[in-house]
Amino acid sequence: MRILIVEDEPDLLSSLAQALREEGYAVDTADNGDDGLFNAEGTDYDAIVLDVMLPGMDGWEILKRLRKTKKTPVLMLTARDQTRDRVRGLDTGADDYVVKPFDLEEIFARLRAIIRRSANKTTNLIEIGEVTIDTAARIVSFKDKPVELTAREYSLVEFMALHHGEVVTRTQLYEHLFDENDSTMSNLLDVHVSNVRKKLGAEFIVTRRGHGYCIG
Amino acid sequence: MKIFNSIKWRLQLWYGLILVCVLAGFGVTAYQLERNRQFRRVDDEIHRRIGMLGQALHGPPHGPPHGPQQNHPPDDFRPPPEFPDDGMPGDDRQPPRFTLPPQVAALFGTDVPNQFFFAIRNRDNNEFAHSDNAPQNDDVFFTNAPANGPDNLKKSPQLLRVGDESFFAESLPSGEKIIVGASVAPELYDLKITALKLAGFGGVVLVLGLVGGWWFVGRALRPITEISSTAAKISAGDLSQRINSEEAESELGRLAAVLNSTFARLETAFAQQKQFASDAAHELRTPVSVILTQTQSALSRERDGASYRQTVEACQRAAQRMRKLIESLLELARFDAGQEVLKRMDFDYSKIISDSVEMVQTMADEKQVKIFSGLEPLRITGDPERLTQVITNLLTNAIQYNKPEGEVRIALKYENSLAVLKISDTGKGIALEDLPRVFERFYRADKSRTGAGNSGLGLSICKAIVEAHGGTIEAAGGNESGAIFTVRLPAGF
Repeated sequence: MRILIVEDEPDLLSSLAQALREEGYAVDTADNGDDGLFNAEGTDYDAIVLDVMLPGMDGWEILKRLRKTKKTPVLMLTARDQTRDRVRGLDTGADDYVVKPFDLEEIFARLRAIIRRSANKTTNLIEIGEVTIDTAARIVSFKDKPVELTAREYSLVEFMALHHGEVVTRTQLYEHLFDENDSTMSNLLDVHVSNVRKKLGAEFIVTRRGHGYCIG
Repeated sequence: MKIFNSIKWRLQLWYGLILVCVLAGFGVTAYQLERNRQFRRVDDEIHRRIGMLGQALHGPPHGPPHGPQQNHPPDDFRPPPEFPDDGMPGDDRQPPRFTLPPQVAALFGTDVPNQFFFAIRNRDNNEFAHSDNAPQNDDVFFTNAPANGPDNLKKSPQLLRVGDESFFAESLPSGEKIIVGASVAPELYDLKITALKLAGFGGVVLVLGLVGGWWFVGRALRPITEISSTAAKISAGDLSQRINSEEAESELGRLAAVLNSTFARLETAFAQQKQFASDAAHELRTPVSVILTQTQSALSRERDGASYRQTVEACQRAAQRMRKLIESLLELARFDAGQEVLKRMDFDYSKIISDSVEMVQTMADEKQVKIFSGLEPLRITGDPERLTQVITNLLTNAIQYNKPEGEVRIALKYENSLAVLKISDTGKGIALEDLPRVFERFYRADKSRTGAGNSGLGLSICKAIVEAHGGTIEAAGGNESGAIFTVRLPAGF
């Protein structure tokens, strides 16, 4: 899961990015509106955390322009908690809305929810054959036994599970599992896929040669 | 009693009472006048007839006494009038012993209006003559007649009224007693009609008065109802309510206008207060968010010392920012409440300006901004520390929003008994649409936070300080031409 955070307060940006990375997300950051829009339009993020008050282009404007090309789920951060601000945010195309100050747990939960909704899932539990994925607790079970996965491996399983039945290209996987700070060595992905197959059964991830991977 | 607490009812009762008194007084007076007029007419008629009867008996009444002549008709006695019923056998009265001249007789009878009658008795109180319509029992009239005597003579003829009948009785000096009477039934009937008319008229006027008064009082008091219902809504929290008054000219209309303008000012002040509180809360949200996310993230797992240090430093920056904000808010609140006491001393204005320039010089050097100043030596009265705060704030802004290697120019001049200080920079300037609002609290031209140093209150505080000195501050400078701030302070010489 790859997330973009657009926030101009440096201390807030760094702590949010760190916390989300520790939650297993790949995180990109932007500290002004113009960079934020550039990143948001250029990459398929799984979700965007967008502050409203930004130097340069403000959050509303970014959202308006982004919605012309992309449906990326957007979580707005704002210091205004008046109803008309919330209504405006949701009407402009935001998927959810958090008022400062917030708890990190709430941000995590809301991000999981908007990512789940964009994948048309209604619960945190995804069951595929004998594999069960709890996206809230970040636990994967195989044959009713919890399986130890690294953060990256978990992200791979979760992303594949959310795109259950689709063919996912290697480029997509790179985009969603690694952020701009990761060195994208091309065989890293193969290592993760082979580890997941060892833990969840060789049949769990099927290779479509020339296209990518698929589960289910 | 609720009714007596209502102004409308009290007014209604009061003028209802007055109206009843006036109408009753008027009615009774009119009735009395009419009654007197009617009776006087009858009385005059009766009086005239008595005179004529007296003349028929003895010549002119009250003439010189003739001595006893009761049984002798006067010289000009004429044949008796025809009394149709007269002279009937079996009549218990004595037949008249004299006859009236016809023109006098024609004045009596049942076919004359008011049915005038007469009766005459001799000095022995015996029936002497009467008209045929005289009452059978006329003793009541005669007992009411004045007794014969010198005192009574003066008073006669005397008007007496018994029941429906009005009559005069006169005692002649010769001892006869004459009564002439008339039925006043038609007059009494007329008077009854008059009384009814007056009562009806009075009733109509009273009803009209009460209804009209009710309407008028209701109309006059309607603005009060309107005012109280509006005030109730306002006290319930809806400050946008206004009194809707059509009568702008009446006393209550003016009251409504005054109240409306009070309500408007109340609403504006309330809205400003609300905006201010909301802005202040908004400004505090971001540093609190920093502290929350930093600490929650740090506590979520074991960290190394350097990472904890980073967290603590971020929290400290957030806390510093909140402290600065709170100090600024309190400072403004003191100015708003008029509690900020300014020193009043004579000092060298140009000196504190050059001192301020020294204070910001390091910052200017960092940004490679050059400061040029042209200061006339000038002394003013005021609080030098507060004015230093204003000047450093303006200089800091001029440096902060300048382009690298830009310039800041400071000029102090004496103009029209004002000390005029101009600080201009070569930055991006202030957009025209932002110019009127730069002194508003929390207003930022670039619509975003620009680091912990800027609370959005600096210029508001400058304005409060300058205005407390009786001066003005204004911003100018359009897009791309650099901003110019002008501070004018009174400089008495």
